[in-house]
Amino acid sequence: MALKDIKPTRSELINIKKKIKLSQNGYKILKMKRDGLILEFFKVLGQAKDSRGALLVKYARAQEMMAIANTVEGSIKVKAAALSVQEKPDITLRNKNVMGVVVPKIDSNKVRKGIADRGYGILGTSPVMDEVATSFEELVEAIIESAEIETTMKRLLNEIEGTKRRVNALEFKVIPELSEARDFIKMRLDEMEREELFRLKRIKARNES
Amino acid sequence: MIQNSSGSAPYIYVSTRLRVRKAKLLPPEEYQRMLNMSLPEIIRLIGETEYQKEVDELGASFEGIDLIETALSWNLAKEFRNVIEIAPGSLKEFTKAYLRRWDIYNVLTILRGKMQGVAPHKIKEVLIPASSLDRFALDRLVAEESNERIIDALKSEKIYKVLISEYPDALASGSFARMENELYKDMYKEFLTIARRGVKGGNQFLKYVQLDIDITNIKTLFRLRQDGFEEDARSMIIQGGTFTPDEIQQMNQMGSQNEVIDALIARIRAKPLLSVLEDFRGEKPYYEVDIGLTKTQIEQMERLSKINPFSIHPILVYLEKKKYEVLNLRALARGKESKLPSDIIRKYLVV
Repeated sequence: MALKDIKPTRSELINIKKKIKLSQNGYKILKMKRDGLILEFFKVLGQAKDSRGALLVKYARAQEMMAIANTVEGSIKVKAAALSVQEKPDITLRNKNVMGVVVPKIDSNKVRKGIADRGYGILGTSPVMDEVATSFEELVEAIIESAEIETTMKRLLNEIEGTKRRVNALEFKVIPELSEARDFIKMRLDEMEREELFRLKRIKARNES
Repeated sequence: MIQNSSGSAPYIYVSTRLRVRKAKLLPPEEYQRMLNMSLPEIIRLIGETEYQKEVDELGASFEGIDLIETALSWNLAKEFRNVIEIAPGSLKEFTKAYLRRWDIYNVLTILRGKMQGVAPHKIKEVLIPASSLDRFALDRLVAEESNERIIDALKSEKIYKVLISEYPDALASGSFARMENELYKDMYKEFLTIARRGVKGGNQFLKYVQLDIDITNIKTLFRLRQDGFEEDARSMIIQGGTFTPDEIQQMNQMGSQNEVIDALIARIRAKPLLSVLEDFRGEKPYYEVDIGLTKTQIEQMERLSKINPFSIHPILVYLEKKKYEVLNLRALARGKESKLPSDIIRKYLVV
């Protein structure tokens, strides 16, 4: 706000004072929100690190089991067994609110299947097939868990960024400019008052002489 | 038609011949050596053994791991069909019956391959024509347009009855699991019928069949327990062994592994099996249980072949050992190709 655009009136001063108060309140609240979000972010960050670590371990295990299954059973048999699975996992996406940030809540079922629900015959396959199926089911579960945690983390991070920008804008731009405007109006009003007083004194002196 | 051999000479001839062939199979130390080799070295070594002819024959069409896999399959099929040819009298029928599992494997592979749109040449590469369906018959099946036509083309085969009754359900559910189980159960039913028909050597074949059923059922039981399967497991159990499906179902419901092992040991007479079951009391990984049981089965078959030297047993021992030689070599080559550590490959070899 350029100072030349400001009308140095009392009502404008009152308005600006109100704005300053509002901005200061908003600044305090946003600062508290930012700090809260950062605390929440660090909590989620710990979980994300754990879940990403578990995901990598499970991915490596699944890859190894796939190589073993291809070694023991042959790739066509493994592919045939994999494609025999008919029931797809049920994934439900809901929302939950963390300090005003909408984050996903992913519920899944039917990821883990029993030996009878995997679609391949027990008498014509070796237990390696069960192990590879289990390892991939565990991997899918880990991916779902990681997806929820990492999306939450990203959304929190975006919100922290946004809140930080708003706090900075209030702290370094809006409140200083409003204060400057308030000071300018005050100064102008004081000056105008002095001019008025001087003018009145001059008129009084002219009348007396 | 079953022919009762008029004398023991053909039995002695075949048993001796297969014992010689068995002696030519790769010894355990050879696998140990191969575990320390690279893939090209393994391929070269396999090309210098009994598989040389197939490797040379297929060398122009395949290379690397594909060459080895196809050469091993061709050699296995040739060897098995040759055993059928030389087996005399009732031994031929027992051998044919034993090899019927390869028909099931081939037909299921074709049906699954077709259902998933696998290219015909890819399906052909993994077929092992070691039983009544030879390479030409399998090629004709692979060339058929639909699975229904494949099943129709199998009208004269023993597996047709199960295929025609189970295929609609398999198609509707999209899963061949039940059909696969039923095919194997029907195969064992036929084994028992043949063995109990009263032909010469039937009793020896019956001993093998019961051993195979027992081992398969015990493996299934441990596998179900490993998975935490608590529903009715009777449809997955083969009838005709030491344990009925109801007994296996009861064992599956038992609380601890030790209780199950006690229940098994109380009824089993074969000593090697008893000792291997004792080993499973600890927390062993399931694949070790499975491989342990397979090794025990082969040991027990070997023992039976020594007790009955001129019976079906020497033939079955040779066929089983040959099968595992091919599977081990394939696992070695594939494992090396997948860059699996030697220690892991070793755990899955049946040596």
